[in-house]
Amino acid sequence: MAQNVAEQGLSRDELIALRNKRTGMTVFQISWIMVFVCLIVVNWQLRSNSPTWPPAGVEPLPWALPTIVTILLVVSGWLVHNALQAINANQLGRFFGQWRAALVLGAAFVAVIAFEWITIPTTGQYSTVFRVMTAYHAVHAVAIGLYMWYVDGRVRAERVTARDTWAVEAGMKLWYFVIAAWIMFYLVLYVL
Amino acid sequence: MAAVTAPTLPGVAGEEPTRLHVSDYLRWSVDHKIIGVQYMATALFFFIFGGALAMLIRWELLTPAIDLMADGQAYNSLFSIHGTVMIFLWIIPMIAGLGNYLVPLMLGAKDMAFPWLNAFAFWLIPPAGMLMILGYFVGQTEAGWTSYPPLSTLFSGDGQTLWALSLHLLGISSILGSINFIVTIRNMRPAGMGYFQMPLFVWAVLATSIIVVMATPFLAGALTLLILDRVAGTAFFNPAQGGDVLLWQNVFWFYSHPAVYIMVLPAFGVISELLAVHSRKPVFGYRAIALSSMAIALVGFTVWAHHMFTSLTPELRIPFMITSMIIAVPTGIKVFSWLGTIWGGKIHFTSAMLFALSFLSMFVIGGISGVMLGSVPWDIHVHDTYFVVSHLHFVLFGGSVLAIYGGIYHWFPKITGRMLDERLGKIHFWITYPAFFLTFFPMHLAGMLGMPRRVAQYAPEFQTLNVIISIAAFVLGISTFILLYNIVWSLYHGEKASANPWRALTLEWATSSPPPSTNFIGDPVPFPNPYGYGTEAAYNYVESQNKKYGTVNPADYLPAEKSTAVTSE
Amino acid sequence: MSSSHPPSPRSTPNMTPSLALIIVGVVVMIAGGLGFTLFIPMILPPQASTQAQQVDQLFTFLLFFGGVIFILVEGVILVSVIRFRAQPGDLADGPPVSGNTTLELVWTAIPAVLVTVLAILSYTVWINTRAIPANEMSVGATAARFAWTFNYEVGQETLPTTLNFGDLKPEIQADLTDEDGVVHFNNPKLYTWVGQPVVMEMQSQDVNHAFWIPAMRVKQDVLPGRTTEIRFTPTMAGNYRIVCAELCGSGHGAMAGEVGRDGELLGAWLIVFENEEDYLANFFDPAAATVLVPPDDPALLGRQILASGAYPCATCHTLDDLGWTGNIGPNMNGIGDRAAARAQTTGDADGAAYLEHSLRHPGDYLVPGFGNLMPQFNPDPGQPNYMPQSDLDAIVAYLLTQTANPSN
Ligand code: HEA
Ligand code: HEA
Ligand code: HEC
Ligand code: CUA
Ligand SMILES: [Cu+2]
Repeated sequence: MAQNVAEQGLSRDELIALRNKRTGMTVFQISWIMVFVCLIVVNWQLRSNSPTWPPAGVEPLPWALPTIVTILLVVSGWLVHNALQAINANQLGRFFGQWRAALVLGAAFVAVIAFEWITIPTTGQYSTVFRVMTAYHAVHAVAIGLYMWYVDGRVRAERVTARDTWAVEAGMKLWYFVIAAWIMFYLVLYVL
Repeated sequence: MAAVTAPTLPGVAGEEPTRLHVSDYLRWSVDHKIIGVQYMATALFFFIFGGALAMLIRWELLTPAIDLMADGQAYNSLFSIHGTVMIFLWIIPMIAGLGNYLVPLMLGAKDMAFPWLNAFAFWLIPPAGMLMILGYFVGQTEAGWTSYPPLSTLFSGDGQTLWALSLHLLGISSILGSINFIVTIRNMRPAGMGYFQMPLFVWAVLATSIIVVMATPFLAGALTLLILDRVAGTAFFNPAQGGDVLLWQNVFWFYSHPAVYIMVLPAFGVISELLAVHSRKPVFGYRAIALSSMAIALVGFTVWAHHMFTSLTPELRIPFMITSMIIAVPTGIKVFSWLGTIWGGKIHFTSAMLFALSFLSMFVIGGISGVMLGSVPWDIHVHDTYFVVSHLHFVLFGGSVLAIYGGIYHWFPKITGRMLDERLGKIHFWITYPAFFLTFFPMHLAGMLGMPRRVAQYAPEFQTLNVIISIAAFVLGISTFILLYNIVWSLYHGEKASANPWRALTLEWATSSPPPSTNFIGDPVPFPNPYGYGTEAAYNYVESQNKKYGTVNPADYLPAEKSTAVTSE
Repeated sequence: MSSSHPPSPRSTPNMTPSLALIIVGVVVMIAGGLGFTLFIPMILPPQASTQAQQVDQLFTFLLFFGGVIFILVEGVILVSVIRFRAQPGDLADGPPVSGNTTLELVWTAIPAVLVTVLAILSYTVWINTRAIPANEMSVGATAARFAWTFNYEVGQETLPTTLNFGDLKPEIQADLTDEDGVVHFNNPKLYTWVGQPVVMEMQSQDVNHAFWIPAMRVKQDVLPGRTTEIRFTPTMAGNYRIVCAELCGSGHGAMAGEVGRDGELLGAWLIVFENEEDYLANFFDPAAATVLVPPDDPALLGRQILASGAYPCATCHTLDDLGWTGNIGPNMNGIGDRAAARAQTTGDADGAAYLEHSLRHPGDYLVPGFGNLMPQFNPDPGQPNYMPQSDLDAIVAYLLTQTANPSN
């Protein structure tokens, strides 16, 4: 856990509140990842009904571009991690650099998935499952991206300071969630 | 039964508790006590609604032909909405309400971890309930509470879509509420209360919340796909286009089997509290009861396909039979521990205790029929018959509802500052108990003899049984009004309650009734063993509490040299 | 351990149960458990298959052990509330006993052993009821909202003795000699005879249904998109109700065998004859003969098709000529008269066109007062509810003859 240098300066109530937020975030992530697991189960069961996957006569999805953006997404995870450390150390310049770079990579990722989404056929179980899974993931990526952008504004407005960086920490953890969920999906959709 | 009235110790007036007005409950509030009451009142409303539908079901079934309802379709909506409302808008919110009211108090905390989120979770329920009722009146919500496709994707009407949206909201509400419980229980226990000093109700809420956060997302996933199939033209459940009808069954039951433990574990928690307090004896096997909740939660995730013994690939059925039967072991531990608790105690037949005992005697019937259902060859005969309807009411009514009734009698004084009328409570009990049994027990026989469930018309040879069932059901319906009347009457005219009318040791009683808005004055110190009855320390603790509630100082009740002896209890 | 305070006015009852109580308890538990099993013949339908014998035996064990547990739990509650009730005004606590490891281990072990026994018994019965016998007869079942149709086949070897291959029409002869060598025919009832193992191959036209014969203790869901199987071997001649056990819509309750006003069997029944000769003489030969020698008159053919239950009309419509009693759709008595009149409202050329339209596209125009429940009967074999044009023409011809309205 990224320990804030100033955390020791928090009051007892503030510390309890921070601890609650952290536990709450973890429980929320465990819970919400189950929706993604559920979609993976759906994918598997539909797959098991078909002798081949993709079903006969359906082109498998192109994988090169998605693989590249998956790697970019992982990089963005490293960037948000750095950003949190930067703001904890009160290095605002470094924070903005890392945080915004992560946002750009995230946007690139969503754009590529959106492109895949509109180019594959709209019918057939193989592509419906793909479209539902990626759309569901993209909704989360976009919403969390917007939140990170909002956090960016809060930092600019000096509402988030090194004394209480929970907003940034939350953004980072939510972005980790997007990445973890995507890696699961990537493996199921492209690799396995 | 000699009527033994509630043992009342002289209540001492301390700081005047905050008096709340009805309008305080109609507003957005972040106080967990207000939210708890909001949950419970909403749930009671839906109980009456769902119960009224049950009365219509029973009326229709007085005769073998369809006569009350226009056609089978109208009847199908009846039980679909009845089942969904009872589960998702009565039991689950009611339990969330009790949990909300009690968990922070039992932990000596001022509020839940996230008060705003708590209020938000509650306020999802009224609109969701309205959507559900709207769906009923729009019509074509008639695929049962399990809503198996392709039946549930066949109707063009909007009722089924509204049903799914409503459940979606309720699921989210329940996830948010449970996150809050888990965080509160993990982080906000007072000094001196480890996990194994928590009241068993809190343990039960913890186990329940773990199930909710792990399982409910599957409901969300399944409903999303159902809605997409209905409105966006996907075909996940349509075999004609490569979909799979068993997919829904697997995903739905992966949530809905654990959901039955969501409904019954908190009831178990209530029972553990009630039996100990009203028989004045420590809970027998505290740790075993606490840990068996966790065991049930865990094993509960591996049994879902026992609802699919007639649709699942035959080769896969046996493993699910084995896991289903295993659940009898941890549940048995609880049942026997409860028996051990009342054995040798000083049983006070308060209304709360009567309902707790009736829970014990009726739930076990539902559990035994559950194990029978777990046996594949037998389930194949009785699947989708009234045998299952009987099982589910024995565990849901005989389990959850009877425990909730007991809980209402037990905690009403804490919540309102007034006792419920014990005489009315006993009348309520002595009508409900036999009427419940006569309503639901004969259903076993109807099912075994060949009556399927979810039918408005049935073979004439089952009429006698059905008439008995219906008459008992009407009596059961009427008995509910005694409780409602008692609640309303006692709210204004009930005997004033002291801080701790039942002389209990858990922390919710260590403050005035009702508690002030900050719950406690100062930081309360828990009695080391929440069920340490029968010791001098416990006696002194209760005495001191009645002298000055609010903060209870251990020095008032724990003579220094005895404190270790008590802790090791 | 400190004693309770204030002292109890009555000495705390001894918690250890006496030996006598334990012995009485165990005797009552076992006798009671056995007693419950005596009710079994009264609470189960007739035991009419080898599967039923097995399942009932299993149920005897389930009920016995369940009964023992039931009496144990209720008994302890009863003894407790009698023996350990607090006297009025007694505010003392019970003894501070909070556990006993040996006891707790015992009551964990006993249920564990019990469920192991029950699981093994269930498994054995499961394997036995699913064993595949040597000489089984395969019957198809088609479920459609809201009727069952059973599909039989007749081949050259199984021709009814009353028929000669040479006397059959050429197209029927061709069917009997082509690749699969059989002619299929339907019946709304299921027939077999004592001792003949049956395997059902089941398909659904629309939603989930479940095939259940209570007297045989067998049940299996019938699902769209896959074929499911169930086996049973009847042991007793008689008529047994077939029931749909999975919710399938408004007529779910009607999708079962019924007894008509005069005791006639309506809807889905299993008819078990004493022996094969009775089966052939009373069902198979005459039924096969009607399809092998179809009438030339289309109206008669239409009547025969509908009477065979090949289509699920009977559950929804009433038609006295065929003994239909359904009331989910409009009454068909006198439909021949009404069809022409309705054709004008719907824009169909004549009564025949209206009827054809009603079958091919029932959703286009709804008879006032009825919902859009009727299945669409499609001309293409790949689609659900396939109805070839030849059948449709015959049915329409027959319906047009229904002019009198006997029930009115
Ligand atoms: C509160 C809700 C609740 C609870 C607690 C349970 C508890 C159990 N249920 Fe139940 N069940 C439902 C609610 C619940 N159920 C509902 C709503 C349905 C119908 C859904 C629908 O289709 O609409 C259903 C249906 C259902 C089915 C499917 C039936 C069918 O559709 O064909 C099965 C099958 O295995 C089953 C099994 C069990 C088992 C093994 C338990 C066990 O947990 C029971 C364990 C308890 C005991 C056994 C009693 C105490 C133990 C002892 C005293 C020890 C000794 C006992 C023995 C050795 C036997 N249940
Ligand atoms: C907690 C859950 C719960 C509860 C408490 C109940 C309570 C009752 N249930 Fe229900 N039931 C279910 C959960 C529950 N049920 C579920 C999950 C199903 C399966 C649904 C499905 O198949 O999809 C089901 C199905 C079900 C059926 C089967 C329908 C069928 O398969 O065809 C029947 C039939 O008798 C029935 C009856 C009753 C009765 C008589 C009560 C009684 O206990 C109710 C007592 C009545 C009241 C408490 C209210 C009093 C109100 C009045 C007297 C009316 C007054 C009216 C006005 C003022 C307007 N229920
Ligand atoms: C699931 C129930 C159901 C089944 C099965 C069913 N019908 Fe119908 N039928 C209806 C309903 C409901 C209507 C009225 C609504 C409509 O017009 O579509 C109807 C209407 C009709 C009409 C028009 C009636 C009129 O009075 O104008 C005809 C003709 C008809 N059905 C014939 C048949 C035949 C023949 C079959 C079997 C091959 C059949 N139906 C099977 C439910 C059913
Ligand atoms: Cu077919 Cu129910
Ligand atoms: Cu279950």
